[in-house]
Amino acid sequence: MVAPVGERSGTMTQGRKEAGKGREIAFRTGRILAGLFVLAIWISASATGMLPCPAEVLAYLLSMKLEDVAPQVLKTLYNSITGFSLSFLASMVLGLLSHKLSLVKGFSEALSEIFNSTSALVWSLVLVATLGVLSPLPPILVVAAVTLPHVLTATVSALSSADPGLLEAVRSVGAKPSDEFFEVILPSSVPLLASASRVGLGTALRISVVAEAFGSSGGVGYMIIRSYNLADASGVLAWSIVLIALVLGLDQLILKPLERRAKRWLE
Amino acid sequence: MARVMLDVSSVYKSFSEPVLVDISLNLNGGEILGVVGPNGCGKTTLLRIMAGLELPDRGSVRRKGKVGIVFQEDRLLPWKTLWENVALGLKYHGMRGEELAKRVREYSSMVGLTDSDLSLHPRKASGGTRRKAALARALVLEPEILLLDEPFTGLDVKARTSLREALKWIWDEYGLSTVIVSHQLEELLPLADRVYVLTPKPARVAKEIDLRGMDLERRLERVKEALFHILSRSGTE
Ligand SMILES: Nc1ncnc2c1ncn2[C@@H]1O[C@H](COP(=O)(O)OP(=O)(O)OP(=O)(O)O)[C@@H](O)[C@H]1O
Ligand SMILES: [Mg+2]
Repeated sequence: MVAPVGERSGTMTQGRKEAGKGREIAFRTGRILAGLFVLAIWISASATGMLPCPAEVLAYLLSMKLEDVAPQVLKTLYNSITGFSLSFLASMVLGLLSHKLSLVKGFSEALSEIFNSTSALVWSLVLVATLGVLSPLPPILVVAAVTLPHVLTATVSALSSADPGLLEAVRSVGAKPSDEFFEVILPSSVPLLASASRVGLGTALRISVVAEAFGSSGGVGYMIIRSYNLADASGVLAWSIVLIALVLGLDQLILKPLERRAKRWLE
Repeated sequence: MARVMLDVSSVYKSFSEPVLVDISLNLNGGEILGVVGPNGCGKTTLLRIMAGLELPDRGSVRRKGKVGIVFQEDRLLPWKTLWENVALGLKYHGMRGEELAKRVREYSSMVGLTDSDLSLHPRKASGGTRRKAALARALVLEPEILLLDEPFTGLDVKARTSLREALKWIWDEYGLSTVIVSHQLEELLPLADRVYVLTPKPARVAKEIDLRGMDLERRLERVKEALFHILSRSGTE
């Protein structure tokens, strides 16, 4: 029996749609399972008595006052964003000059390699030792140094991602090199720069707290290590959860939607 | 009228292999010149050399006037509206304000773009509208020589007709010297005064046909005959 063509193709797309829906449900279930998995590890670790259980930490979190949490969160955000902006700006300048000058290209490449093989721990120790524990600069500079290799690599490839056809088209109507840069090269690089910024800012937040832990100028990292020094295990976990919420919240609510918008830019 | 606007003389161009070999042709004032040839033979390369966007390895190109080129793929900036795309060249030449707006409006309406077309971004516009915007982008700079690469390709019948009428109007009004590369003979031949037929890659001029005074049927017959001849001789189809 051969079904009429229209009907057969109809059921085929229907079948494919249902398979797609099934995969989507399985995918979401997997995500929920990951959350439960982490929670299960935590509960079994707390059963040994070495960690406070989730309920204790939740109680601690609820007892925290907004006016105590907000300044530390803002401090960490400030450190991360400033540090990231520094590495972003440095990358744009180096990326642009690399385009024209082999000297700068070699310089940036080697700098990336050196920075990429230097740990955030080393940067933190060296900078805190140099600038002092009270200086607000180490977290910012550590973030800048650690994010630089990734951001620089991404910037260099973003700046060379412009369609040669579009460049030729604007040149054919009289564009100068500066017009080419601002009107084609820079706009073309928006999607790649947005992706790099999303990854870079996420990294920045996680690195910032490491550097904060070594100084005494505040921030979520400073609060984690202070709780640790006071043998306040619930405090350590509560502030860690604040950090996780910060990283996830920033990524899901702000960076991911921005990246998605930037991706549509070139269509 | 017999002034030569564009003179291509013994041009040779090779990328990894020869693409253009000993190409000589000329475009006279007010004339519409067709260039036809098999797929991938080097027509776009020839047009880019005519425009000065690419230099020939040997031979020379002399231009007696400003050149405007419309590319096969429109090449509009996707993040700008059609209006902004049309205005690009004027902006690069330092024109601003009301003077610029007036010029953009003038040439846009000449190619048949409405204000609502001009407010669209390229992705929201139809193929025909995009092609007209690309044409207007070249025309606003008031070129004396217009180079069109496959202007009718990828458009439906309605858009093709509409574009052809716009071009006809511009020629009647301005007598713009034009080179059209196209393999759509039904669109090209009613418009062209002369046609150069190129061989498969590497392109050489196989034949020059003066179409003036022929009706469309005769024009098609002559050009198809020439194409058939070179294709059968080179053994490709
Ligand atoms: N910049 C370039 N670098 C290397 N090869 C090139 C370049 N531009 C063109 N070519 C080659 O030259 C040949 C001719 O290309 P061209 O685009 O000029 O042909 P065409 O006749 O316009 O083709 P089509 O019919 O597809 O429009 C092709 O084989 C192409 O691969
Ligand atoms: Mg071509």
